[in-house]
Amino acid sequence: MSTFLNILVVGLLLGGIYGLVSIGLNLIFGVIRIVNFAQGELVMLGMYGAYFSYWLVGMDPYVSILVVVPALFVFGVLIQRFILQPLQNESMMQIFATFGLLLLLQNVILAITRGTGYTVPTDLSTVVIDIAGLKISLVRLIALFAVTAVAVGMSWFLKNTLPGKAIRAVTQDRRAARLMGINVELTFMLTFGMGAALAGLAGTLLAPIYTMSPQIGGNFILAAFAVVVLGGLGSVWGAFIGGFIIGLIEALAGYYLDPALKHAVWFLVFIAVLIVRPGGLFGIAGAEEVGLREQH
Amino acid sequence: MSSIEIPMAMSGRAAPGITTFRVELVRILVLSLILLGLAWVYGKNPFILNILAYTFLFAGLSSAWNIIGGFGGQFSLGHGVFFAIGAYLTANLYLHFQISPWLALVPAAALAAVVAAAVSWPTFRLKGPFFAIATMAFNEVAFVLANYFETLTGGPRGLSLPFKAGLANMIFTNRFSYALLMLGFLVACLLVSAAVLRSRFGYYLQAVREDEDAARAAGIRVLQVKLLGMALSAALTGIGGALFAMYLRFVDPPTLLSLPDIGVKFALIALIGGVGTLYGPLAGALLIVPVESYLRAELGGMVPGTNLIVLGAVLILFALFMKRGLIGAGTALWQRLTSARPEGGGGG
Amino acid sequence: MIGTVTRRLVLGMSAAVALSLAADTQVQAQETFKIGAINPYSGPMALYGDEVTRGYELAAEALNAKGGILGRKVEIVRGNAASPQEGIAAVEQLAGRDNVDVFIGTYLSAVSAAASEAAMNYQKLYWDTNALAANLTERGLPNFARSGPYAVSFADQSVELVTGLLAEALGKEPKDLKVWIEHEESIYGTSIADRQKEQLEKAGVQVVGMGAHSAKAIDLTDSILRARDAQPDIWINTGYVPDGNLLLRTARDQGFKPGAMVLVGTGDTRETLEALGAESLEGILIVSYPRPDVTEQYGPGSQAYLEAYRAKYGQDPLAPQSMTAFVGLKIMAEAIEAAGSAEPEAVIEAAKKMDKPLNTYETGYGAKFDDHAQNVRTPPTVVQWQNGKVVTVFPVAAAGGNKLVAVGKQ
Repeated sequence: MSTFLNILVVGLLLGGIYGLVSIGLNLIFGVIRIVNFAQGELVMLGMYGAYFSYWLVGMDPYVSILVVVPALFVFGVLIQRFILQPLQNESMMQIFATFGLLLLLQNVILAITRGTGYTVPTDLSTVVIDIAGLKISLVRLIALFAVTAVAVGMSWFLKNTLPGKAIRAVTQDRRAARLMGINVELTFMLTFGMGAALAGLAGTLLAPIYTMSPQIGGNFILAAFAVVVLGGLGSVWGAFIGGFIIGLIEALAGYYLDPALKHAVWFLVFIAVLIVRPGGLFGIAGAEEVGLREQH
Repeated sequence: MSSIEIPMAMSGRAAPGITTFRVELVRILVLSLILLGLAWVYGKNPFILNILAYTFLFAGLSSAWNIIGGFGGQFSLGHGVFFAIGAYLTANLYLHFQISPWLALVPAAALAAVVAAAVSWPTFRLKGPFFAIATMAFNEVAFVLANYFETLTGGPRGLSLPFKAGLANMIFTNRFSYALLMLGFLVACLLVSAAVLRSRFGYYLQAVREDEDAARAAGIRVLQVKLLGMALSAALTGIGGALFAMYLRFVDPPTLLSLPDIGVKFALIALIGGVGTLYGPLAGALLIVPVESYLRAELGGMVPGTNLIVLGAVLILFALFMKRGLIGAGTALWQRLTSARPEGGGGG
Repeated sequence: MIGTVTRRLVLGMSAAVALSLAADTQVQAQETFKIGAINPYSGPMALYGDEVTRGYELAAEALNAKGGILGRKVEIVRGNAASPQEGIAAVEQLAGRDNVDVFIGTYLSAVSAAASEAAMNYQKLYWDTNALAANLTERGLPNFARSGPYAVSFADQSVELVTGLLAEALGKEPKDLKVWIEHEESIYGTSIADRQKEQLEKAGVQVVGMGAHSAKAIDLTDSILRARDAQPDIWINTGYVPDGNLLLRTARDQGFKPGAMVLVGTGDTRETLEALGAESLEGILIVSYPRPDVTEQYGPGSQAYLEAYRAKYGQDPLAPQSMTAFVGLKIMAEAIEAAGSAEPEAVIEAAKKMDKPLNTYETGYGAKFDDHAQNVRTPPTVVQWQNGKVVTVFPVAAAGGNKLVAVGKQ
C-alpha cells in the first residue's frame, strides 16, 4: 500500500512537471492555433538562461526567474512578430517555420556549449521531505506548486483583465474580435510572448532537476503535445489536469509494468482517449474543428 | 487552390487549365530522362551519386506522403511507421528466408497498407493538428515496441544484412546502380500520384481536403476515400522503406523511426516544394537534400552544429519568402510573366 | 580546432578566417597522408564525436613531429555523421572528394557499421578506435579493425570488479552477492548489460533484476524503486550522462543506497559532479576509458598527453574517450608503417602480427589483435569519486597508491 502511495506521489510530481511545460504550449496552440514545434526549445532556453545567470553572477535559479521570464517574453513577441505573423493563414508553413526555429535554437546552444551537460546548483536540490516514508523532492514539489499557481493566475488573468478578455475573444472568433476593435495582431504577440515566458518559467524551475543538453527540449515536446490535446485545447485547467493524467499513467506503468514500455502505454492511452473524445477531456466539443478552418 | 473545379471534373473530362494524365505521363518521362542524365553526368562521382540516390528516394517518399498528406489534406507525421514496416519486413525475409528484396516489395507494400488502414480507421476522426499529433504518437509507440520486442526487429542491436553484391539481392557495389534504383522508385511514385490526381478518386480526395462536410453532402464516402488514400500512400512508403533497408544494409529503430529524419521529413520536403502539387515533393527534395548534404559536408567539421544552424535559418527564411513552396512560387512567377494578372496559388 | 579544414571550405566561411587557413592548407596540400575522421559533430553526441576527434588531432601532431606516416605529413579531415545514412554520405565525401587514404572513427556503432561497409567499396581501411558494438568485428570485414575496448571489454571489467574488489570490500562470496543491472535501452546499454548478466551468472553471482530505461526519460523514479525493492548489494548502470545523473539523484532522493554503485561508460566527468555534488557522489565507481591520471608505469606518457591536450585546447579533456582515440590512431600508424602501405588487407595483416604487452601505450593498452582484428589488450579502468575527485582504483597497477573508499557502509 505504501508503495502504491509512493507511486501516486511520484506520478503527481511528474504531472506537475508535465503541466508546467504544457501550459505555455496550450496557450499558443489554443489561441493562435500554431503547432509550435519549438516550444521544447523555449523551455531549453529557459534552462540555459538559468545556468547562464548562475555562471555569470552566481544567481540562484529561483532568483533568475526574474531575468529569464521577461527575456523569453520579449523573445516570444519577436518570434511572433517577425516569423509567425507574416505566415498568418499559412498554418502548414508556420509549422515548418517553427521546425526551422527548433533546429536553429538547438544548434546555436550546441555550438556555444559544445554539448556539455550543465546543472544549476541550488541548495534546495538536495532537500527531501520525508512524510511517513514517502520521499518528496523539494525542487519537484516547488514545480508542482508553481504550476498550480500559474494555472490559477492564468485563469484569473483570462477572465478578469482586459488583455485576458481580448485573448479569449480572439480565441472564440477572430473576425468578430477584430470588428469589436480588438487588435488581433497585438493580442497574438502578447499570447506568444506569454507562452514563451511560461516556457522560460518551466525551464528555470526544471534547471535544478535535470542535467541540461541542447536536445532536452525534445524530451518534453511530445509529452507536452499529448497533455495539451488530452486536456483540451485552450483550456488552462485541461493542461493542468492532463499533465497529472499523463504523469500518473507513466509512473504506474513504469513501476508495475516495465520502465521501457511506459512511453508506449501513455501514448496509447492518449490516442484512445482522443478517439473517444476528439476534443480532449476538457475541451469544448468541436474545438478541434476550429483549428482546421481558416480564420481571417 | 483548386477546389472549385471538383463537380465539373467528375465528368472525367479535363477542365480548362488542368492537364490530362497523358500530358503528365509525358512530363514525367521527360523529367526522369533529365534526372537520369544528371546521374549519368556524375556517373564517376560517388559523392554526388550518393546524394542523388538519396534525393530520389526522398523525393519518391515525399510524393507518396503527398497522396494523403497533400491531395487528401491529412497531415500525417507517422509515415515513419510504414517506412519501418517495409524495411523490417524486407530485411527479415532476406535474412531468414533468403527471399529476394525484389519479391519482398509486394508483401512490404501490402503489410504497410493494411497497418495504415487499421491504424487510420479510428484516427481519421481527428482533424488537422490533432491528427498530426496522434500520428506522431503512433510513431513513438512503434519506436518503443520495435526496440522492446526483439524477435522481428533485432531490438536496439538492429539487423545487419551481409554484403552479397548482385542484382537479385538488390545490393550493388557502385552508387550509380543505387541512383537508378531510387530513380525507378521516384518515377513509380510520380506515376501513381499523377494517376491518382487525374482520377475520380483523386478529386474525391481533394474534395475531402477542402471541405469534408461538403464532400459528404455531395455523396462522397469520406472515410473510405481517406482510408484508401492512406493505404496507397503507405504502400509506396513501405516500398521506399524496403529500398532504404537494402541501401543501408542496416536497420535499427533510431534510423527508421526518427521523427526529424524520417516522419517529419517527408512532410517537410513536400512543404518546401509545394504541398498538394504533383511535382512539389520532387522539387522540394531536389532543393533540400543536396543543401543538407552540402552543408553537412562543408560545415560539419567546424564548431559542432554549424550545419544545422544554417539549415534552420534557411528553413525559416524559406517559409517566410516562399509561402506556397517552390512550385507555388514558380507558378506565380510564370503567371506574372505570361499575363499581367497577379494571381497567386499553385496548381491542383 | 579548425586545422583540418580543406580548401573547399573556404567558400563557406568568412573571409578573414578563410585567408589564414587557405595559406596554411596550400603549403601542405601535396603529399599529405589524409585520415578521414568519421564522427558525429552535430546532434546529441556531438560533444563526444568532437572529443574523440581531438584525440586524433593530437596524435596527428605527435606523429608529424616525428615525420608523419610513411614519410608523409598527417592531416585529419572531418566527416560529420550522426546516423548510418550520414555515415555512408561521409565516406563518399571523404573518399570521393577529399581523397583520404584511410578512415578512422567512430563514437556511434551504427554509423561505424554502415560507414565501414561503404569504405569497402573504395578498398580503404576503416580503423575503429571507439565504437562499442561487438558485432562490428564479428562481421569479419576485411578492411576493418578495432584498436580500442568494446562492449565485452567494459562488461567483463565490471564483472571482474564485482567478483573481485567489491566482493572483498563487501565481505561476501560472489555467490552471496546480489546485483541489479540497469541500462539505457539503445544498443550501447543493452549489449553491455546482456554480457554483464551472462558473465555474472557464470561467476555464480545472483542477478536479482534487470531494468532498461530510455535515456530521454523525464522521470526515472520507477527504475530506482524497482531496483530498491530487489535489495541488491551492488547496483550497476550503463547509460549516458543525463540519464545517469537523473538516476543518481533519484536514488539519493528515494534513499536507495546499496553497498556499491557502479556506472559503466559515463559518470566520471564534471557534468556529474556538478549535478550531484561531491558528497552524494562519494564512493561511486565508474568503469570507463582509461583517464590521463593513471600512473606512468601503467600508461607511459599519459601525463604528457594531458599536457599536450591542455596546451592545444586550453582545458582539460571533457571525456576520457579522447585518450583512447589518441592511442588508437598511434596503433594504426604503427600497423601502416609495418605494412609499408595503407592497403587495408596489408595493414590488418601487419596489425595481427603486432604483439605489444599491456602498459605499452598512454592508456595502458597493449596491441594484440585476434582473428577478427579486435585488439584484445584494451582493459578499461575503474575509477572512484573520492572527495569530489575521480581517482583510478582498478586495475591495481593503474591505481598507484589509491584505495577503495566508502563501499559497503550502510
